[in-house]
Amino acid sequence: MNSFALSYRLLFRQGRSGTLGLLVAGLIVATAALVAVSVFTDRVGRALERQAGEALAADIAVNSRAPIPERFDLEAERLGLETARLITLNTALFVGEDSLLVEVKGASQGYPLRGGLETASSSSGDSQAADRIPAVGEAWMEPRGLRQLDAEVGDLALFGVHELPITRALTFEPDRSGGPFVLAPRLLVSIEDLRSSELLGPGTRARFRLLAAGDEQAVAAFNTWLKREVDSATQAIVTASDADEQTGAALTQARRFLGVAALTTLILSAVGILLSALRFARSQRDLVALLKSFGATGSEVMSALTMMLLWLVALAIVLGGLAGLIAQAAIAQVLVEGQETGLPPPRLWPVLSSGLFTLLLAVGFALPPLINLRQVPPMRILNQSLDRTIGLGWVLWIVPVASAMAIPIVQLGNLQLAAIVLGGSLALALVLALAGWIAMRASGALATRARSSWRFGLAGLRRRRAAGVIQITALGLGLMALLLLMIVRTELLGQWRGSLPESTPDHFAVNIQPDQVDSVERALLEAGAERLQIRPMANVNLVDSTGRLDDDRFGRQVNVSWIEKLPPANRIVEGTFFAADATSQVSLAQRWAERTGARLGDTLTFESGAQRFTATVTSIRDVEWDSFNVNFFILMSPDAGQRLPHQNIASFYLPGGEESVLREISRGFPNVSVIDVGALLDRVSDIIDRVSSAAQVVFVFTLLAGLVVLLAALEATRDERRHESALIRTLGADNALIRRGLLIEYGMMALIAAFLATVGAALVGWLLARELFDFSYQPSALLFIAGFLSAFILVVGSGWWGNRSVLATPPVRILRTGKL
Amino acid sequence: MSQPDQLLLCDQVGYTVEAPSGQLDILNDISLDLNTGETLAIVGASGSGKTTLLGLLAGLELPTQGRIHLAGEDLGQLDENARARLRRKRVGFVFQSFHLLPSLTALENVLLALEIGGFSAARERAAKALEDVGLSHRLDHYPRQMSGGEQQRVAIARAFAGDPGILFADEPTGNLDRRTGEVIADLLFSINQEHGTALVLVTHDPRLAQRCARIEEIEDGRLISRHSSDGSHEVDESRRAADRPSG
Repeated sequence: MNSFALSYRLLFRQGRSGTLGLLVAGLIVATAALVAVSVFTDRVGRALERQAGEALAADIAVNSRAPIPERFDLEAERLGLETARLITLNTALFVGEDSLLVEVKGASQGYPLRGGLETASSSSGDSQAADRIPAVGEAWMEPRGLRQLDAEVGDLALFGVHELPITRALTFEPDRSGGPFVLAPRLLVSIEDLRSSELLGPGTRARFRLLAAGDEQAVAAFNTWLKREVDSATQAIVTASDADEQTGAALTQARRFLGVAALTTLILSAVGILLSALRFARSQRDLVALLKSFGATGSEVMSALTMMLLWLVALAIVLGGLAGLIAQAAIAQVLVEGQETGLPPPRLWPVLSSGLFTLLLAVGFALPPLINLRQVPPMRILNQSLDRTIGLGWVLWIVPVASAMAIPIVQLGNLQLAAIVLGGSLALALVLALAGWIAMRASGALATRARSSWRFGLAGLRRRRAAGVIQITALGLGLMALLLLMIVRTELLGQWRGSLPESTPDHFAVNIQPDQVDSVERALLEAGAERLQIRPMANVNLVDSTGRLDDDRFGRQVNVSWIEKLPPANRIVEGTFFAADATSQVSLAQRWAERTGARLGDTLTFESGAQRFTATVTSIRDVEWDSFNVNFFILMSPDAGQRLPHQNIASFYLPGGEESVLREISRGFPNVSVIDVGALLDRVSDIIDRVSSAAQVVFVFTLLAGLVVLLAALEATRDERRHESALIRTLGADNALIRRGLLIEYGMMALIAAFLATVGAALVGWLLARELFDFSYQPSALLFIAGFLSAFILVVGSGWWGNRSVLATPPVRILRTGKL
Repeated sequence: MSQPDQLLLCDQVGYTVEAPSGQLDILNDISLDLNTGETLAIVGASGSGKTTLLGLLAGLELPTQGRIHLAGEDLGQLDENARARLRRKRVGFVFQSFHLLPSLTALENVLLALEIGGFSAARERAAKALEDVGLSHRLDHYPRQMSGGEQQRVAIARAFAGDPGILFADEPTGNLDRRTGEVIADLLFSINQEHGTALVLVTHDPRLAQRCARIEEIEDGRLISRHSSDGSHEVDESRRAADRPSG
């Protein structure tokens, strides 16, 4: 009989007898958890990208200082993408006698491709979603512009050669970046009107943008094409993450959270697969000896077994894949709120990669012991004591296992994150194995001195030395994955949410003159503004440096401020922040220093009008740009304030009834512009919400998979325990002794696994917080106590539950069979 | 009540199990007894019920009819734990397939039984027991490093280490070749004599059975004949009733 037919028949017969049930169940659960979590996190991730795409009003865009060639549109359309074009420029707008510097945006049909515009019928009217852009011959204006011009909907706006009626107040543009430095209010017109306005002549400072959106693959293909085609001197590719500082940062954080969550499930699944694979190899020992005694050659048996393993894995992948898909769909329905925004449909890729992962791991873990089975002597069938300990064949493990581990790294695209979580797990696995081994040795020594049930329990540990080391490692890794997810879900996500509290400043007031500071502050406080901060701001040119700087930066304008002490959301990474009475000192944001090449100790000279300010760089700061605070690249010592002409900028949170407040401020201080960034804040807060609910779903899956792994780990030695307990019952041990013995044995394993898992989870969590999330996470004592206790109870409890049959095994069975 | 030197008393014992086809009688109306130091062989074909009887006599299971007294205790009145406690001090076992724990050395295997019994100076006792079976040089060897005969010697050492009143042996030479089997049997009987232990031996090997003072033959769950070591042989259904001990 050939190996193929043999493998098929063996599988069929063993399957019918139920021998392989547990093995397949383990693989199915592992694959199902893997598929469910990877498909789900993929869907959430894509939903987030799409949501973040609103910050760009597209999935991808090209910015240019010159008109963008037609072939860019053609290529995007050829790929099946929708496109739209934008042109923006700053110009003076006249309404009646008043004029104002505005930023005119000309949009083509289809804009915005992601997100939607909102308009109102008057500058203080209620916002409504708009399903079109201004028609040719009309204009929409931002309410603060209307307020500043003392104009209203219905007035005529004059720009370039056009005189257009303002037909709506433009209350929201998805791609309006909301920083405090957006000074000019928006005027939105059709792109045809802008083109014919005669404002786009030679020397214009207009900015051109091509927007594209559509199917993910097409977007990716367009991105690849663009990378070849764009002229980096004048053109740049922009994605959602680049479009807006806060949204981009939130999206990056979100990807990391989802990545960690998916990795924890992956670790658990890997442990589950490892246990299943080892169990499979072990269960086939008798069969190998039997087949050999019937005359099958070693290689025939091996190919049959290998094929059988592949059949099983294929079955598990199909069933687990289906179960995972169904489960993630069901849980997504129940747990994910905001279904109106909907998750994109599942993709095949995460399913395939999960299947491939299971296959590679199962093969990697099962093949070395299977190959060792070649050496099983046919005599084993007559004498089981001829069993040899199965070697590990280290080299053989590495290739498929390393390939399997490469899958999530490629999928995540974040080597650092994968290195921390997977590397941390690997390190923990080694420590666990070592601790397990030491414990086994030590328990042997202790057993000789201990009293009866302790002696039996400790001897139990020693008796199952190899199995015990594997069990402790599996238990510890499983527990660590669960605890890590708990840390991420509660502590880290909590901190992220906490970084955007209810009263996060959602308005900026700009252009407050020095003599207006007190009265504006009073007015804002009276209007109910909370968390009000008013900071000076000067627009300066960098004109000289003692250090070597990128020349291009000279003459560029930059906003600077001065302050007496280090503001919140800033951290010194180099040097010392200047004292309140310091003079001629400057502190640079790390990002700006890196871009310009400025270093600690350089002396920089800035110019504003006829004033100059020369200062030495005495510190470099790391700034949380996504913190919704007013942050500056350059902070100067307070003496700069006496020299540089400046205005002030206020940030504050305004709870409710804002329109009337804004109108009053505008009326009282016509030069002050108030910018509402509430919508932007909502977008970031939505992203956090989505990640939180996703983490919850992943937690449920991981917990389920974790329980199965725990049971499987403990199940692995159940047969042996049953045999042993029946034997020692025959020798006179009562139930209490056996029970105490089991409790001591499980207790010791749980102690080691739970302790190391808690330490491991805290360490990995701390590393993740520090290196990736930029949080300051201190593992709390509560985590140690609660995590350790729950892990301990979980292990002892599941061990107890899984081994009820050990106690129920009648001792008389020892007389009937060699094995129970 | 059982008599003072009576170690084992089995009175009209039956054992019935539920089978798909209805109730199945494994043992029927079995009565026998054994005094301190006596040896008894139970012989019979495969499936005759002899191993089940051994299990019942040792208190591993309870009969569905009749009663069994072991070392003065009515097994039917003891729960499983109490029966286990009775075994740990009074009963030794030797199995056909040795039942040594593969991950324990010879010494540890013997030690385990003594530890369960709570014997003092267990280590010294275990070493002495192994020395008695001629394995003083193999104390730290694992079962897989030993021959079948040696493994059975460890099992015998384990059985006798606690100095039990009665030893149950289930086909002790069944897994061994004839010569080794004989050596093991010699060992078993000589230690048995030395310790003055009562022995219940289940076997289908007539030569081994012959070495016991008494032989009971079992067929289809009933005792059908009794042999004595002096060669007399009775097949008498009715005499069992007369033989039934008082009490």
